[in-house]
Amino acid sequence: MTAALPRRAWAATHRFRPVLLILAALFLLFGVTQEGFLDATNLRNLLTGVSILWVLALGMTFVLISAGVDLSAAAIVALAGVFLARALGAGAPPGVAIVLTVLFGGLVGAGVNGLLIGRLGLSFFVVTLGSMTALTGIVSLWSQTETQFVTARLLREIGMGSILGIATPIWIMAATLLVALWIQHRTYLGRDIYAVGGSRVAARLAGIRTVRTTVVVYGISGLCAGIAALIAVGRIGAASPQVDNAIALQAAAAVLLGGTSLMGGAGGVGGTVFGVLFIGVLQNGLSIAGVQSFWQQVVTGVILVLAVLGDRISAAGGVRPLIAAARARLAATADRPSDTANEGSSA
Amino acid sequence: MSATEASARSASGAAATGAATGAAATARGAEAPHGAPQLLLDDVRKRFGGVHALRGARLALTRPGVVHGLIGANGSGKSTLLGVLSGQQRPDAGRIVLDGAEIALTSPLAALRHGIAMVSQETALAPDLSIAENVFLGGRLVRRRVRGIDWRASNARAAELLASLGLDEDPATPVGRLRPDRQQMVEIARALSQEARILILDEPTSSLGDDEVQALFAAVRRLRARGVSTIFVSHRLPELLALADELTVLRDGETVAAGPIADFDADRIVEAMVGPAVAERARARSGAATRPAAATAGSTTTTTASVPALRLRGVGAPGLLREVDLDVAAGEVVGLAGVVGAGRSELLEAIFGALPASGTVELHGSALRARDPRAAIAAGVGYLPPDRKHQGLVLQRSVADNLAMVATRDAGRLRAPGGAAERALVGEAIATLRIVAASPAAPVSTLSGGNQQKVALGRWIAARSRVLLLDEPTRGVDVAAKAEIHRLLRAAAADGAALLVSSSETEELLALCDRIVVLARGEVVASLTAEEASEEAVARFAGGHA
Repeated sequence: MTAALPRRAWAATHRFRPVLLILAALFLLFGVTQEGFLDATNLRNLLTGVSILWVLALGMTFVLISAGVDLSAAAIVALAGVFLARALGAGAPPGVAIVLTVLFGGLVGAGVNGLLIGRLGLSFFVVTLGSMTALTGIVSLWSQTETQFVTARLLREIGMGSILGIATPIWIMAATLLVALWIQHRTYLGRDIYAVGGSRVAARLAGIRTVRTTVVVYGISGLCAGIAALIAVGRIGAASPQVDNAIALQAAAAVLLGGTSLMGGAGGVGGTVFGVLFIGVLQNGLSIAGVQSFWQQVVTGVILVLAVLGDRISAAGGVRPLIAAARARLAATADRPSDTANEGSSA
Repeated sequence: MSATEASARSASGAAATGAATGAAATARGAEAPHGAPQLLLDDVRKRFGGVHALRGARLALTRPGVVHGLIGANGSGKSTLLGVLSGQQRPDAGRIVLDGAEIALTSPLAALRHGIAMVSQETALAPDLSIAENVFLGGRLVRRRVRGIDWRASNARAAELLASLGLDEDPATPVGRLRPDRQQMVEIARALSQEARILILDEPTSSLGDDEVQALFAAVRRLRARGVSTIFVSHRLPELLALADELTVLRDGETVAAGPIADFDADRIVEAMVGPAVAERARARSGAATRPAAATAGSTTTTTASVPALRLRGVGAPGLLREVDLDVAAGEVVGLAGVVGAGRSELLEAIFGALPASGTVELHGSALRARDPRAAIAAGVGYLPPDRKHQGLVLQRSVADNLAMVATRDAGRLRAPGGAAERALVGEAIATLRIVAASPAAPVSTLSGGNQQKVALGRWIAARSRVLLLDEPTRGVDVAAKAEIHRLLRAAAADGAALLVSSSETEELLALCDRIVVLARGEVVASLTAEEASEEAVARFAGGHA
């Protein structure tokens, strides 16, 4: 019983084991070779440095499980930031403005992306690419490309403060992770997202509200973008008119590194956390080592492809079988390998 | 008439034709090199990890222009053998001999170069391209030096190939607009255009109606006359007995019986497939179960006839269904017969709310207001779709998840899923349905076809649906799983559920149903009691010859 739990926990990591092992290796490597890497201050910087990515990636995980991607997540962060600055500027109490900002993010995600994809059945790629582009433009128009300074103490606390000696962004990271895990494991919504991503038709025929589930999924991504906006504004004390849309792609990369399938229906937020930490450790360790930060992008990109490749190779049982399987798929008999697998289990 | 009688009768009929073609074949065989088979797979072995998919399989086409039947339960290694033959899988051991020379089939392209072509279950066609483009897919359209593609010549070539299969279609028609059987013909035409001498047809009839099957048979017979051999894979014994010249039966990766079709009848094939002991039990069960099920259902019908469990009035959908009236009583099993395109699937979808339709659907006397799957499920309707892989199951998810997908929703959305009540429900379902799975947490995709189908059906049994709509409940499952599913359906009916079963196999309906409703072009054309129903009667109405 006591030995069973760690073993089960280890077994549960099989979808993101490559990134887990590389992360551990990197951690060891930087810990041994780079002085100061393991300092409390540095680890705190490491975590707060990826806090925005973390929150976005958690929301993005549900989007990928539902067989979609939210390219507009970073644009919603910037838009929510401008919203927050405007709300405060209009005299809203900081507490109210914060809640409204998060809800605003959720509303944009659900109302624009969710409805267009879920209700009207448009392609997630087209819709979120379109909303990303349009929202980026709206941010510039609305902010008149000027940085809007935010001086509210509460926001500073969110970005820079700490509670019980731990930085507030880290608390936010922990809280969002717990909520995401709860949704994933303990709610029908979580299960519905997997079913919808696995097969929309099968889910509908089993009585699952596929439209509502899709709207909610993009709403969750939007809510996360709203939360990320609070951290972003809090950290620099201003709402920036700049939109870095690459962050949305980086979040998607972290989710994929964490073993969630781009095809939907499989994966989870547990793996996403390690995908984000991988990017964070690499960024931080390389910068301590004095290596240009662009290397972090090169390594992340290569590892992302290698991780997926490694997973496929081990599933196929070697490089040659993988190539053979790919060729067999091209022969338009996609389910033949799985058929033979079925034969095995029934025999 | 019972199923055993039906198959015995068709078997004797087919044995006669088999003998006749056999005699004709001997005449033809005289010109071929004596005794040497056209194609021989000998002692083929293949392992996947620790599982022996093939452990010494043998398959011999005795001469060019032969129809060779291949049958075996799911898990017998049939798919793997076809994979080896079509170059998709490399065997671990064994010889492949074509026209007396040993060959290696390293890829589907290599197989094609040797004249071996596979026509798969799922048609491998580009639906938006024309017939001619599909036939000559892969840059094989007729080309001229300067003008480029010569469409007129290409279309003429395609038309010629189609005509040789007995098909009269404009080669410029997009393939997506053709009926499923004609799409299959296009695939066969493609194989012929590539000079295929051995065609592998993997369950070509599984999605075809009776008349379309006849058209396909005619095409296969034309090919036989031209010296093109066919390896014909089917679960349906009467088809094999009617069409094949010779037969190979696989069980557990081995060839357990092979020879001229005249040596076989339905009982012998089933016995070879399932092994002698299982065959004995299956016969006892099917003999015992057919009659009493009908009898009990008959008695319930009389008591509850006033308020049927399911009542349809004027159900219609533009171009698909016309004014369908139908009653199904609690405890009754009603079959839906008809050719593909007659509206069987559409009717079930319309009742379930998955297809927009007019008219009224009443359940136990109260009309269904909202017309979507959720409302139907809430009212106690269950629907087993025809395609379990895409419609019936979420393949990546666990057996437990798929089984509980409907039932546990009643518990309320805020309570956590995966609790003790759900585990109990899943455990019970796995036990009653005799689902073979590594664990309830195993992904459904790892199960065999028969067990997958049981999970898809089990979801509704676990939810205690009072009205079950079943579309092709035993498509693509082996004989043993089929018997199991029939047993479960009878048990559900005996329990008071109303069943509406659609099947393209009339034999299945005759074995299962108290009443058979025949559809043609979206209309009810006949309603036959168990006594009136027979293969002939159903075929007559379905074909529109009332």
